[in-house]
Amino acid sequence: MPRLLASALSLRRDPRLLKLPPYLSLLCIVVGVVWLFLLPLDDYSRRTYISENALLPGQVHTYFGGSDQNVFRAYKYETDELAGKGNIEVNNKLESIAKGLGLKVGRQNFTYSSAGNTHSGQNIYAILQAPRGDATEAIVLVAAWENVNGELNRSGVPLVLTLARYFKRWSLWSKDIIFLFTPDSIAGPQAWVDAYHDAHDSSLVASLPLKSGALQGAIALDYARETRFKSVHIVYDGVNGQLPNLDLINSVNHVAGGQMGMGVAIQEMWEHSNSYHDRLQTMLRGMLKQGLGLASGPHSSFIPYHVDAVTLQPFGDGWQDEMAIGRVIEGTFRSLNNLLEHLHQSFFFYLLMQKERFVSIGTYLPSAMLVAANFTIMAIALWVKSGQPEVREVITEKTETAEEAGKVALPNPHVTVERDLFLPLVLVAACQFAGVVPLYLFNHLSESALIPAFIFFTILSAILPFLLSSILHNSTTSTTTQQYHLIRSFSLLLLGMFLSSLATLNFSLAFLVGVFSAPLTFVRPCPNSPSNGCLWSFCLDEKVGYGLGEVLRQAAFAWDVTGTYTPVVVWCVWWPAWIVGVVSVLGRPDTRENKVKKA
Amino acid sequence: MNGGKVTLGRTAGLYAGAAVLRLALFTLFPGLPDLLTGRVEISTPVTSFKRLQEGLFLYNHNVSPYDGGVYHQAPLLLPIFNLLPSFSTFPIFTYLLYIAVDILSADALLRIAESGEAGSSARFTSPRRDKRWSGAVVAALFLFNPFTIATCIGRSTTVFTTCAILHAVANAISGRHFHAMVALAFASYLSMYPLLLLPPLILLCYDRQKQPASGAPNAWIKFAVAMVMDVFGALAVLFQMSFFLTGSWEFLSSTYGVQLTLSDLAPNIGLWWYFFVEMFDSFRSFFLAVFWLHLSSYVGGLSVRLRQQPLVVITLLLGIFSIFKPYPSIADASLFLGMVPLYRHVFPLLRYSFVIAAIIIYATFLGPAFYHLWIYAGSGNANFFYAITLVWGLGLSLLVCDLAFAVLRDEWEVERPEMVGKEIRQI
Amino acid sequence: MRPSFPSLLLSLLSLLCFSPYAAIANASSAADSISTSISDSRSDYHEQLILRPLPLSALLASFNFRSNTSLSAFEAHNFRFFPRSLGQILQHAGTRELHLRFSLGRWDAESWGARPWNGAREGGTGVEMWAWLEAETDEEADHKWLTLTNALSGLFCASLNFIDSTRTTRPVMSFQPEGNHIDANATNMHLLYGVLPHEVVCTENLTPFLKLLPCKGKAGIASLLDGHKLFDSSWQTMAIDIRPVCPEDGECVLQIEQSIDMVLDVDRSKRPRDNPIPRPPPAHDMKCNTSKPYHAHDTCFPTDSAANQDWSLSQIFGRPIKGTCPLTDPTVSPVCIQVPDSRIVFASEGAIEKKNPGQTSRCFDFPAENDFEVFLPAPETQDGSVIVDQHLVKPETPLLYAERSFTGHGQERGGVQTILRNPSPDQEVEFIYMESLPWFMRIYLHTISARVDGQPGKADSLIQEVYYRPAVDRARGTQLEVRMTVPPASTVFLTYDFEKSILRYTEYPPDANRGFDVAAAVITILNKDKNGGNSRFAAYNLRTTTLLCNLPTPDFSMPYNVIIFTSTAIALAFGGMFNILVRRFVAANEGPKSGLKKGVDKLKAKLAALFKKKSSAAAVAMTAEKKTE
Repeated sequence: MPRLLASALSLRRDPRLLKLPPYLSLLCIVVGVVWLFLLPLDDYSRRTYISENALLPGQVHTYFGGSDQNVFRAYKYETDELAGKGNIEVNNKLESIAKGLGLKVGRQNFTYSSAGNTHSGQNIYAILQAPRGDATEAIVLVAAWENVNGELNRSGVPLVLTLARYFKRWSLWSKDIIFLFTPDSIAGPQAWVDAYHDAHDSSLVASLPLKSGALQGAIALDYARETRFKSVHIVYDGVNGQLPNLDLINSVNHVAGGQMGMGVAIQEMWEHSNSYHDRLQTMLRGMLKQGLGLASGPHSSFIPYHVDAVTLQPFGDGWQDEMAIGRVIEGTFRSLNNLLEHLHQSFFFYLLMQKERFVSIGTYLPSAMLVAANFTIMAIALWVKSGQPEVREVITEKTETAEEAGKVALPNPHVTVERDLFLPLVLVAACQFAGVVPLYLFNHLSESALIPAFIFFTILSAILPFLLSSILHNSTTSTTTQQYHLIRSFSLLLLGMFLSSLATLNFSLAFLVGVFSAPLTFVRPCPNSPSNGCLWSFCLDEKVGYGLGEVLRQAAFAWDVTGTYTPVVVWCVWWPAWIVGVVSVLGRPDTRENKVKKA
Repeated sequence: MNGGKVTLGRTAGLYAGAAVLRLALFTLFPGLPDLLTGRVEISTPVTSFKRLQEGLFLYNHNVSPYDGGVYHQAPLLLPIFNLLPSFSTFPIFTYLLYIAVDILSADALLRIAESGEAGSSARFTSPRRDKRWSGAVVAALFLFNPFTIATCIGRSTTVFTTCAILHAVANAISGRHFHAMVALAFASYLSMYPLLLLPPLILLCYDRQKQPASGAPNAWIKFAVAMVMDVFGALAVLFQMSFFLTGSWEFLSSTYGVQLTLSDLAPNIGLWWYFFVEMFDSFRSFFLAVFWLHLSSYVGGLSVRLRQQPLVVITLLLGIFSIFKPYPSIADASLFLGMVPLYRHVFPLLRYSFVIAAIIIYATFLGPAFYHLWIYAGSGNANFFYAITLVWGLGLSLLVCDLAFAVLRDEWEVERPEMVGKEIRQI
Repeated sequence: MRPSFPSLLLSLLSLLCFSPYAAIANASSAADSISTSISDSRSDYHEQLILRPLPLSALLASFNFRSNTSLSAFEAHNFRFFPRSLGQILQHAGTRELHLRFSLGRWDAESWGARPWNGAREGGTGVEMWAWLEAETDEEADHKWLTLTNALSGLFCASLNFIDSTRTTRPVMSFQPEGNHIDANATNMHLLYGVLPHEVVCTENLTPFLKLLPCKGKAGIASLLDGHKLFDSSWQTMAIDIRPVCPEDGECVLQIEQSIDMVLDVDRSKRPRDNPIPRPPPAHDMKCNTSKPYHAHDTCFPTDSAANQDWSLSQIFGRPIKGTCPLTDPTVSPVCIQVPDSRIVFASEGAIEKKNPGQTSRCFDFPAENDFEVFLPAPETQDGSVIVDQHLVKPETPLLYAERSFTGHGQERGGVQTILRNPSPDQEVEFIYMESLPWFMRIYLHTISARVDGQPGKADSLIQEVYYRPAVDRARGTQLEVRMTVPPASTVFLTYDFEKSILRYTEYPPDANRGFDVAAAVITILNKDKNGGNSRFAAYNLRTTTLLCNLPTPDFSMPYNVIIFTSTAIALAFGGMFNILVRRFVAANEGPKSGLKKGVDKLKAKLAALFKKKSSAAAVAMTAEKKTE
């Protein structure tokens, strides 16, 4: 291996090679982006398929309906009476109904505080114990009292109650079925799942009074509308861009689309003509959601615990009634009930671009990796460059090669350049750690203080580079070009490293951040135009600051409740990189220093 | 940065700083120690602090800790930790112990650096020797290495081995053979593999002994025999003590047998675990033998080729162990990376320093990410983490090879001074 | 002592004259007298079915069959009611006492109350067995245990032979011999305990079970037992207990007791066999709560499912009882129902109802030859709702509620949490909590702790005694026995951590991602006698549910790749190192040229040579032409 590297690295002394990297990394970025836009084409995306044979979706007759509709109506009356009542009152009613069905009922209080305001409530859940089973496995059916938009889940809650009564009659369940009713769509499920896995802070979230086995899957029903519907919308984005197993989505798709003959939509593409444009739009929407990493429904909180979950939302005006969506759920649960092993067969990393077309990680990862790679390439190039004296330009080709040959790396005061690593390391490290400040600030301030703080911080981070660069310039040991090279080299290296690690966790986020900070690859000291520096720093902050208060509150909530790590990435990866970038734009490398060195 | 005189105050300040930093980490983030103790990169089955606690608990409740599959560490650790106030009530004492051990290791490292052995040994003097870092810098690089800090916070019992090895070397350099051998015996007793350091250490002692050895060939043989006697004598004593402590010899199979047979396949940053998870049963013992043979095969070659600089041999061996041990952890890497700065003078001869640094940092970030994907998110499988362990191993081995190359070239340029800075190749 | 010849003759004769007799319809006084005389001489065999309606339209049916044979007859290989097949196995394996359990489902203590037989006749899900073996050394005991499990697995069509050393433990505190042994705690009595949590109990286990009965399930209450119904029940357990019993008077007998307890869901069981699908009932015969304001023909708030508690034997079991088993002891009435006296029960004609006053149970005797049927009409309800405790025997609250679950997530480590609730207001409960865990769950005993709900801090004082035998990789499972108490009217959380170890890829089952079943924890409640000490018999037993433990899995398709990659990495390091060590340094322009360069030069030389030849040849030709001119 050393010999291979030796031959590879012996190239680095070729002067032409040093001019290459900027173009190379530009190429990387371009290819990466273009790659992404190729994905929706038929040649790059694949049709979905079920790889877990045990699922057998849509293979069973579903019997839900008939007189159950009467029961549903009755429960709907009950729900309507409860509209606008307090959480506890609602739960009392739900408990009495569930107890009447002969289910075990438990309650759980929770209180979250974020951005100064508290979110508290009480979950209630009922466990239907598998008739012949042992409490080893369970599947969950969630109905939030209010959906993400704050509408009352007017038909969802009674439908789940009706289903509970219907499921009780079957003797074929091999897994317990848990019916979970939460006051809201994000905090409630989060509290419940945390407590179920004992990952909760017991001072804020109460422990669960009764439990069942390992959760194998979860379906959430968000059915706020009263009228009949046309198709069902599958929401599948989890917290931090984690996705449920593709098999689950496929089975719901099979049951709803294939068996029930209702339309299926994803990513709010209500109309999807299977065209390139629509596919691309679906994919980009998916990537944006994934990149933000926010919870998109009651199902989102389950996915980080390796419990595959989706939310079903009926939409559109059609002739399908509540019983139809009930049968969809029945069919899906029958499939999940067949599972022998935890869902592990199919894909966890994918981009859906239509209900039954997807690209798997192997196909799309290169685009993000290329974008990340361009930073590394540039970093290496800068490192090599920093090892070479500025005199290179003036010397003629012939002597230069000789110089190059001589200048592998040996202590010859005339040609070699000892890299002075101290200052660059300190600067880059300081910037990285400085990122903790805004992170802490924006997650612990109260809502009212957020916007002022942000504006203040924007201005600060606009000024900071000037301060730094002037310090660098006026300090006793003035900063050399080499040190600027090293500063950029290190910060780009870190950036590339963070992004390539992130790409494996949350592809979209890595890609977005990579594209946003692509200019950093090409910044170079141009002291005569400090204006563009501040321009940079403003435009970068505007990108974050867009939408302001709401965004900040959202972010704080996501951080405090669902543990979204997007803020970390923004403040500890992206922001420092920009600060360093702007600093090196404003940098006034002192050539006199080198003269001295050379003399 | 070129080495200057080390004032006592400077070192003291350094140690104080390191201690304060660790203490702050222990106290300010109470969750951190247990978090790090749980990381597979830090605690292996043979060094985990949680397992040590379990062994201690069993030992105090008159259950033999070795009659089970959890505790695989040396018996003498039990009474040592028994003397401390119980961890559950006064954790601070344990923290202090670990901090003290770290600083002791750093001190030994400082003495090694100050001795200048790396630059100019008894038989070889590098032309570049005067370009070196002072002991304080070397010690600082060791103490403030994130790996070292993480190991200390994670309370892995490797730190004791590290300390013993460094003291063995330091004593050898300062010519106290017996102390050196006893220290080595301790290290070997704690985690077996340091025994492979015996040959180079004997060479080091021989070179640095106070009165130069007489020319007679049998003189150094006598010397070597004496050294070996010392080590095995010390080991025998330690084993006897352990026997009296546990009342049976079963600790041998449970402590060293596990390292030999790898019966506990817990994931770690090494190359062994996944190999033997996937190994066919009929070939298991064969490959175990091969792996151990491979591990010990470097000793002879290095000792012969680098006879002139035994300290280099020891350094390179430590690097190799930190890659190919049965249960390596970042603690071993931190020991090796702590020794590397001693060779500041050959840094200019390193060919891939940047690549190596990049690889190691990449692996450091990607490892935990992939482990999370495998174990918690469930969206990746074991191959993810395995791939990273491969990368990590390659990166370190590249560093070892490059260091060897640099040192050898340094030697070579002594006999051919005109070659300084010329293109060279090996035939 | 050998059985007296006459009695033996009698018994034979009875068998001879009985078996045809049972078939023909009308009774003959002679035979009657004989049979009674026999059964009076020694009550060798009796069977009983106890039916108890439970809340939420559940029905507990516990069948109990017991037969004795004198030890002397047993040792003389003289089996009468004792199943020969089993007897020979026992003798071969030197078994002094045997307990075997096949269980399915879970007992819902909150609504069903205390367990039948105080939990003495049940096991955890799957198969569970423990036995006292007669052996001099542990090795011999293990050997006999192996023999026993293998033989029984053949007999009961269960994979008992998988109970190997890793699944076998030797409990110290939890189990006490039930029989009276001459040398109860002698050194040559070895208790071994094995459990198979993953074993699915089904019909193939029921058939051999019935085969052991004297009437082979053809007559008597056993005729009700049918796989479809038994294994559709919410909870069922089949138990076989064999123990020597020595009454004060008379000789010791070897007693085999077979019992089946099952909880049936009445609604489900009444569903006809040919149409088992629970289609929604037609709207008009739904039980609605008419008091609701919105009640209408298309809107129906269903009344709670405590309704329809009317059932009859043939509805529930699909058939009536086919007479009594002729060999049974007539003094014990075969069927009993436990309902309040207020409730009406109809039995088929010819049956005599024996109501013992004060108690809430009534029993039925009926002639041997005709079928027997019981019908329990629904209690007359006012306004659709039913007051449970008026129409059912109020289930007695158990001494202790226990629930066990995993904590934490991920496949690296986890914890076990057992919630123990003592319902009684005034007296504390003392019990032994036993876990036998697989070796790949490495538990950390120093993390075991008890805490009382509502009180901050640990309450480890509740743990009085711990017996712990740590696991050894691939050789032995963990055995943990904890003697602890729960104060009155309080809930205690018992928790400990464990670590999941990764196995060799050959050690995983085909469904590796399902996880590994962890056997139920056995809780034995000790009953205090007057002087505070614990008597040897357990007051109450209960088992928690089993758990599913997910281990980290390797990629099963990778062995070759992994071997290749790792070897390559090692080769690279080794090669690189020794490459540097063994080669000499030279300047780039010195020494022999490297292979590639050499090749290139050779090629150049050749080409050059070639060109030279060509040109020279051309020159020659030209000169030739010149000559011809």
